[in-house]
Amino acid sequence: MDVLQSYIGHIINVMPSLLQGAVITIEVTSLSVFFGTIIGIFMALGKLSTKKILRIPSLIYIDFIRGTPLLVQILLFYYGIPGLISSVTGEPLRIDPILAGVVVCSINSGAYVAEIVRAGIQSIEKGQKEAARSLGMTHSQTMKDIILPQAFRRVIPPMGNEFIVLLKDSSLLAVIGVPELLKSGQLYVATTFASFPVYIGVALVYLVMTLTISRLVHYSERRLGVGND
Amino acid sequence: MAMIEVHDLHKYFGDLRVLKGISTKVESSEVVCVIGPSGSGKSTYLRCLNLLEEPTTGQIYIDGEVITDPSVNINKIREEVGMVFQRFNLFPHMTALKNITLAPIRVRGLSESEANDRGMSLLRKVGLEEKADVLPGALSGGQQQRVAIARALAMQPKIMLFDEPTSALDPEMVGEVLNVMKDLAKEGMTMVVVTHEMGFAREVADRVLFMDEGIIMEQGTPEELFSNPQNERTRSFLSKVL
Ligand SMILES: Nc1ncnc2c1ncn2[C@@H]1O[C@H](COP(=O)(O)OP(=O)(O)O)[C@@H](O)[C@H]1O
Ligand SMILES: [Mg+2]
Repeated sequence: MDVLQSYIGHIINVMPSLLQGAVITIEVTSLSVFFGTIIGIFMALGKLSTKKILRIPSLIYIDFIRGTPLLVQILLFYYGIPGLISSVTGEPLRIDPILAGVVVCSINSGAYVAEIVRAGIQSIEKGQKEAARSLGMTHSQTMKDIILPQAFRRVIPPMGNEFIVLLKDSSLLAVIGVPELLKSGQLYVATTFASFPVYIGVALVYLVMTLTISRLVHYSERRLGVGND
Repeated sequence: MAMIEVHDLHKYFGDLRVLKGISTKVESSEVVCVIGPSGSGKSTYLRCLNLLEEPTTGQIYIDGEVITDPSVNINKIREEVGMVFQRFNLFPHMTALKNITLAPIRVRGLSESEANDRGMSLLRKVGLEEKADVLPGALSGGQQQRVAIARALAMQPKIMLFDEPTSALDPEMVGEVLNVMKDLAKEGMTMVVVTHEMGFAREVADRVLFMDEGIIMEQGTPEELFSNPQNERTRSFLSKVL
């Protein structure tokens, strides 16, 4: 009974800082998916391009990011690259952890979004492009007016999924001290050693966020009539 | 010069030889129907005429202009050559009217209101004025195909290509689409129609081409080809479809 009471006490005590951390988590994730989407659309068009000069950089970027762990990318960007720069310039270089987190997660997300967008574009029947081109429309008019608007509706479910994946993976930013949800929990554990209730609390806050997002995605799918073209 | 002239057209898909030397002319206002067994290269031939497929060798002239030259502006050529597909290929995220007005606005530079006027008069012509604001998904197959014809006509092309326009339709809807095409033929449109509708070919075509194994095996007026085919393969094909 005492144990249960003390657990509940810890959860109540830690909750305000967990919620503050959750706000950072959501901010970092939203910004990263936003910038990742912009990067991803261009990388997808690059990967589908017939021009090598556009295709090859996109291929390298997508393969490198998807083929290496996010944790390694975080450490490389936060410690490795500043270390390299300061060894050249001789000046110490520190980056703000939140800024670093957004940059790394945007770059990371961009590669996954690129694959989602590419698959979305390729899922549009060939006849759509042929109809548009047979009317004299150019390649870019066809993309903008015909292919991308249709692909957009098809990528909503996987984009929602990408958001959820990144929301969870942004917990890795704890290692560079970004004060997000997991880090907030860790700080509390460091002084109280109450790891069980705190990490249960952390897990539950993540769960509430991911379930809410998947509801929202589901709702917008229905609003936009995804799947009934 | 004829409206369409094709000289010794060959097309390969990789190692697969699909067109093996096609030469033909289509005069202005002529209606040519192309018949033949499936896989004989009819669609490929038609799609070469607006460069949806790139010919491997040979020349194609549209209204006196060579289009098989690498320097040619493909988009300019396609503005003059309308195409209607077996599966309609309407843009599902746009209303019937918007399907029709998009290319005239984007490509021909029409204002929205000019394009809408043109679009509505074309919808009237194909009997679908009241469907202007409907999405393609809510139209029957026959209605979709009529919108697709209107969409191609909205560019005011010199030539219309049809690739089995009624093959994906339920039988009761074939007539409404063929009627629109008959009207078009009467108005003097130059048309090349790949079809299995022998009745239509007999009634509307000025000339019928029988294609088999990537060549034009035989051609003539409907009367000549249907009543008195010279080639053994034509006879055997016609005996199966008539
Ligand atoms: N894009 C393509 N790639 C490879 N082979 C193709 C392609 N398009 C058509 N073919 C082949 O070319 C041949 C002729 O096809 P097609 O022109 O569609 O014939 P038809 O319209 O007379 O049925 C067929 O063997 C078909 O499989
Ligand atoms: Mg065909």
